[in-house]
Amino acid sequence: MVNQKKSKVIEKGRLTELLDKLTQGYHLIAPVQAKDVSFRRVESGSEVTLDYINSVLSPKNAFFSQTETLFRFFRDDNRGFQIEPCVEADREQVIFGIRPCDARSLRLMDMVFNGQYRDSYYLDKREKTTLIGLACFEPDETCFCPTFGIDPASGEDVDILFSDIGDRYLVEASTEKGAALLDKFAGFFVEPRGDEEQLRKARKAGLARMKKLDVSAIADKMAPLYGGDYWDSIGLKCLGCGICTYLCPTCHCFDIGDVNLDEGGGRFRCWDSCMFPEFTLMASGENPRPNRKTRIQQRFFHKLKYFYDRNGELACVGCGRCIRYCPVNIDISQIIEEVASGKAGND
Amino acid sequence: MTENIYLPRMATIQSMRPETIDITTFRVTIDGSDETERFEYKSGQFAEVSVPGVGEAPISISSSPARPGAIEFSIRRVGELTNALHELKPGDKIGIRGPFGNFFPLEEMEGRNLLIIGGGIGLAPLRSVILNVFDNRAKYGKIDIIYGARSPQDLVFTSEYEEWRKVDNTRLCLTVDRGDEKWQGNVGLVPTFLKELHPSPENTTSITCGPPIMIKFVIEALNEMGFPSEHIVTTLERRMKCGVGKCGRCNIGSKYVCLDGPVFTLKQLKEIPSD
Repeated sequence: MVNQKKSKVIEKGRLTELLDKLTQGYHLIAPVQAKDVSFRRVESGSEVTLDYINSVLSPKNAFFSQTETLFRFFRDDNRGFQIEPCVEADREQVIFGIRPCDARSLRLMDMVFNGQYRDSYYLDKREKTTLIGLACFEPDETCFCPTFGIDPASGEDVDILFSDIGDRYLVEASTEKGAALLDKFAGFFVEPRGDEEQLRKARKAGLARMKKLDVSAIADKMAPLYGGDYWDSIGLKCLGCGICTYLCPTCHCFDIGDVNLDEGGGRFRCWDSCMFPEFTLMASGENPRPNRKTRIQQRFFHKLKYFYDRNGELACVGCGRCIRYCPVNIDISQIIEEVASGKAGND
Repeated sequence: MTENIYLPRMATIQSMRPETIDITTFRVTIDGSDETERFEYKSGQFAEVSVPGVGEAPISISSSPARPGAIEFSIRRVGELTNALHELKPGDKIGIRGPFGNFFPLEEMEGRNLLIIGGGIGLAPLRSVILNVFDNRAKYGKIDIIYGARSPQDLVFTSEYEEWRKVDNTRLCLTVDRGDEKWQGNVGLVPTFLKELHPSPENTTSITCGPPIMIKFVIEALNEMGFPSEHIVTTLERRMKCGVGKCGRCNIGSKYVCLDGPVFTLKQLKEIPSD
């Protein structure tokens, strides 16, 4: 639990000014209302909107860019190359307004990009980022984050949590990094008046109605379904558009490609999707996942079994994005329910 | 700044030896003093080989770590990158990342007989084992090598067979799917030839690499002959990009072929989905 002494309050009227100040010392990434709400780098506090349930895309792009140059190369004569790694400018960034589900997804991504081989492109950005979360009191009907032990009103995976309690935000630092940032901007924050906890409790009342599925033995229950008929019907429905993977805050698959110009070129990586046939197509022409059934099966097995086998966590945070945007209504929460209840195996 | 796992080291092609019409063995040194020696690999591992501007692909290492001085890759011309590699000349530069993946359990196999079964370009990683055990000949029992290709022209490392046959207690048995007027050896598929030769499973570890369909039937034949699943060792192939378990495409079940493989025993394979 957050130390009560660290709790502060900021009046709503001062938020824009605080965000303005943040843009002076940091790259500030915050939700912006365009056609939809999305996280972008902002130059001033007035660009930021806080009127959203959640952004269309999670802010994973701030760490794992949709497209990112790994290095450039220059031909030094007919035969040689000079390689120049692309390291983003040293900068501290602040993400303001990340939801607790998306903050948890970063913890899951850390497990992929860290480890025996460290992915410095991702990890450097992660180290240089302070996460300011925004507690979620009015989730969407497709949200089911409590399934994965996420409290949408908690600051467990962020550095600082802002909770909207009416005329002000309750501000709590949950890490040293967060506390340091609050200290730096101490002039914006005042002491709590005393009724904050009560106000927060009232706002949290609706969260008790959120969908919480039983995933206690889901990985074990998935195992016997491999190759089964259950995935045939889902595979027939799937269009293979890949929107689920692009919107998913825990999907981390990428492609690596080269760009060739006269004097040199570069190597880049970009998001890729297990929904696409080329994802596993080998030069020999062989494809171990030749149809939508095997590809959709891979997606759900990765989320609900393989990632768990490797990392001890399920690779879903219940943000509901894939459910909201799937054009044919493939619903991971329904699949979880059917697997958990044993219905999936009886089709 | 931590080490950047995506940056290739520049390497120089020292020589290119044509093996078949579409397979060439590239002998490569990594630029910079001692860099080639510091590329510490084991038989069965692979490297990400790249031509800047074209791309990168995982290629198994066909040389033996017991013979330092250069690293060899035997590469079939089959896709965009391998086509570009075949267009290069000695002295040209390529990129190398690695070594990656696990390796053949040569230490665990000490004191045992080896049955090495290859098909086509699949002999490339097995050649690393073959040369490696030849250099440590006393540590192993009998060595039987069974190798086949589509035609006599498709056999690789033919210039080395004479040397291999001279090694103590070693047998090299060749087969081709279709012979020609000069071919005097066996004609038939590798799994069939294997059954005819009927090697004993006693104190023997089998290592196989080749096209998936060959591996499938070789494993069936080995099962029939009584080889226990922990002594049937094979390699798997999947499309890879990063080589380090991040990009997410080479998994079979919970295993990443790039990290946990490419070498698996049949016993391990029985525990993962069969896709």
